[in-house]
Amino acid sequence: MDLRRRELLLRTGGLSLAGLVAAAAPAARALGQGRLPGPVDRDAALQAFADTMLPGRKVDRTESGAPVAPGAIAGVHPLPGAVETDALALYRHPKVGFDALEPAFLADLQRRAGGDFVALGFDARTRVCLDGLSFDNPSRTLWEAAAAVPFTAFCAAALSEEQTAERAAGYRVMGLPGRNLRGYRRFSYGRRLSRERTRTGSLP
Amino acid sequence: MAERVDVLIAGSGFGGSVTAWRLAELYVAAGADPRSIVVAERGRRFPNHTDFRQSMHIDHLSEIYMLVQGDGAQVVVGNGVGGGSNVYLAASLRSPSETFERRDRRPGDGPDRRMWPAEISRRSLDPYYARAERALRVRRPAWRHVSKAGGLWAKTLAAAGHTCDRVPLAIIERRCANVNWCHTGCVFGAKNTVNTNYLASAERAGVQVRPNLEVQSVRQTSARPYRYVVTAVALGERSKQPEGPPIEFEAKVVVLSMGAMGTPPILMRSRPQLPSLSEHAGRHLGVNGDHVAGVEYDPRRVRDVLRLPPYADFHKGKPITTMTYDFWVGRRGNRWDGTRFTLQEIFLTSLTNFLYDDGREPAEPSWWGLQKKDAISRWASRIEVLAMVEDTHDGAFYAAPHSGSAERPNAGPIAIGTFTYRFGEQSVRVREAADRAIRGIIERRGLARFMKLTETQGAYASHPLGGCRMATGPDLGVTDHRGAVFGYEGLYCIDSSIVPTSLGVNPSLTIAALSERCAEHLVASAGDLGLPARPPGFAPRTPDEILTEHVRRAA
Repeated sequence: MDLRRRELLLRTGGLSLAGLVAAAAPAARALGQGRLPGPVDRDAALQAFADTMLPGRKVDRTESGAPVAPGAIAGVHPLPGAVETDALALYRHPKVGFDALEPAFLADLQRRAGGDFVALGFDARTRVCLDGLSFDNPSRTLWEAAAAVPFTAFCAAALSEEQTAERAAGYRVMGLPGRNLRGYRRFSYGRRLSRERTRTGSLP
Repeated sequence: MAERVDVLIAGSGFGGSVTAWRLAELYVAAGADPRSIVVAERGRRFPNHTDFRQSMHIDHLSEIYMLVQGDGAQVVVGNGVGGGSNVYLAASLRSPSETFERRDRRPGDGPDRRMWPAEISRRSLDPYYARAERALRVRRPAWRHVSKAGGLWAKTLAAAGHTCDRVPLAIIERRCANVNWCHTGCVFGAKNTVNTNYLASAERAGVQVRPNLEVQSVRQTSARPYRYVVTAVALGERSKQPEGPPIEFEAKVVVLSMGAMGTPPILMRSRPQLPSLSEHAGRHLGVNGDHVAGVEYDPRRVRDVLRLPPYADFHKGKPITTMTYDFWVGRRGNRWDGTRFTLQEIFLTSLTNFLYDDGREPAEPSWWGLQKKDAISRWASRIEVLAMVEDTHDGAFYAAPHSGSAERPNAGPIAIGTFTYRFGEQSVRVREAADRAIRGIIERRGLARFMKLTETQGAYASHPLGGCRMATGPDLGVTDHRGAVFGYEGLYCIDSSIVPTSLGVNPSLTIAALSERCAEHLVASAGDLGLPARPPGFAPRTPDEILTEHVRRAA
């Protein structure tokens, strides 16, 4: 099927849209650019959303030393969460490009929260996110894109230059030591643990 | 003014590198100059293994990966000189005989027939598999080299009455540090990418590899002996965006080796200049039946039931070491085409936490939230299982993007693919069967908890196949069994795009073997295409292992 350029832009979300959030572009368009209801601390709202996805302990600063908005972290988990691992910085990273979706997402977040999402308690925040991430929500892909960012910040330490458990709280929580140039010695049980079907490893 | 070359190869992954080496040795044997063979690669070059990093920092991921987000699927592909071999996990398996006999019967996909051309069977491919195994230095690991995660899977299967096989790997054991960082490029030079054999040997013979050069389109020319004009653009190494005016090559032979995510869009863009191109170009895109699940072990049950010491070592070892074929052969329920699957233990990355649903009630968050956070804190007690199922190729490109193979909006790792993917009935059914099988194995005697793939954006795949599938004629596919594009002499697709079905195993070795076979046919007909004719007695040889000084010292 041949598509004209304009049609293609409509289907792919346009060149201004960054990759991780590509699939969410139609949902963002459907919601319009999203007028935020009243003054909203965008940083706080994104951090509160990230904390609902991967909750963590209360801290004033992230791993990189950036400030955490007051009230953004609900403090329902004793270990570091996505906010502490710089989810906000990843939302704003030019190689992610969430800026193209941020207005529409925040407007929908606030609308479903019935006001300031940050002012809600953790359980209420969770209900809002269940609503947003529901299969009944036509803009679900927008929410999935927003959820992918804190996971990437936490589980991949995507902004950590060091990539070690000492410097990346997400790795520490997961029990992943991170980079290792010396190697592991006890990496194997060192013995046969099952019968094998093949002689070579491949089926005939 | 177009640059004139004998052969232009687009892409430097398995397909492009195998072809480059086989042509290079032909040129050397014939006394011709291999410098007239040019390999264009859109990614950058990593001259040394130490240029890779054990890192998922977004900057490094942007260099080595492209995550193509389509409508209904996310597909990971490799970037950089060496293509997918930089980031593959080195499992090197021959696809079972049954694969090549498949009859998919997908609605609307032509008559009931064998999906592969008659010339391709396991028996006919075996010599090429052997050739690729020698080149990639494939070895089956000893049990003492099997990761704990792989051993745990083997023991779990054994406890459930199943067999489990060690997976042959393209890894040099004495150089491997067993740190599970294959996926961002091996910094030890232990994983055999094409950069240490096929491509390195081709370059040493004189083949030119041009990084940061992305092929855009192909058109015919009447300026014989040249047949095609290939248009390419230089990509900024940092920006990943086209820079400068288009660059043209006149070539006698063009080989498209950009993979299933790359070759189909290029042909589709070229369609106005290649009017006889099969209408199947861009269709029948597959994901090799990839389907993953998470398995969270109970440490006490591992000790009490399996009699193994405490685990919590998911991060150690090699990413793939064991798998079972018991659901491919030997079971009545898996006897028929479209019902079979293999189950392989795999370490994807820590990022794949995102993929797993921890299985709570529908009214609660399943893949995020407080309980998910708790589950993540037990990550080290997991393994991941990759089911490779006999699905159908359910995807299709709906257009060629404006440039390259996908819309790349910035210098980040994610691009927008112009394709749709909707699982067909068989694809859903066989995945559900795989889930049931995994669950049955691991929940027996309370060993572990099953975490199914989240129902977010459709298919997650790292093994894209098809889009220019080989077939018996242009009414069913794009190329013949040699990778030759129907209707266009001297134009080839030699890569994963020609694979017509899922393979049941990790596809890299099959892609390499098919490429060996296609390259052999290309070499045999080289004289007719205006390239040096194959001299009498010419025989292919194994490419040397060419290591950087760093690796030699470490070894």
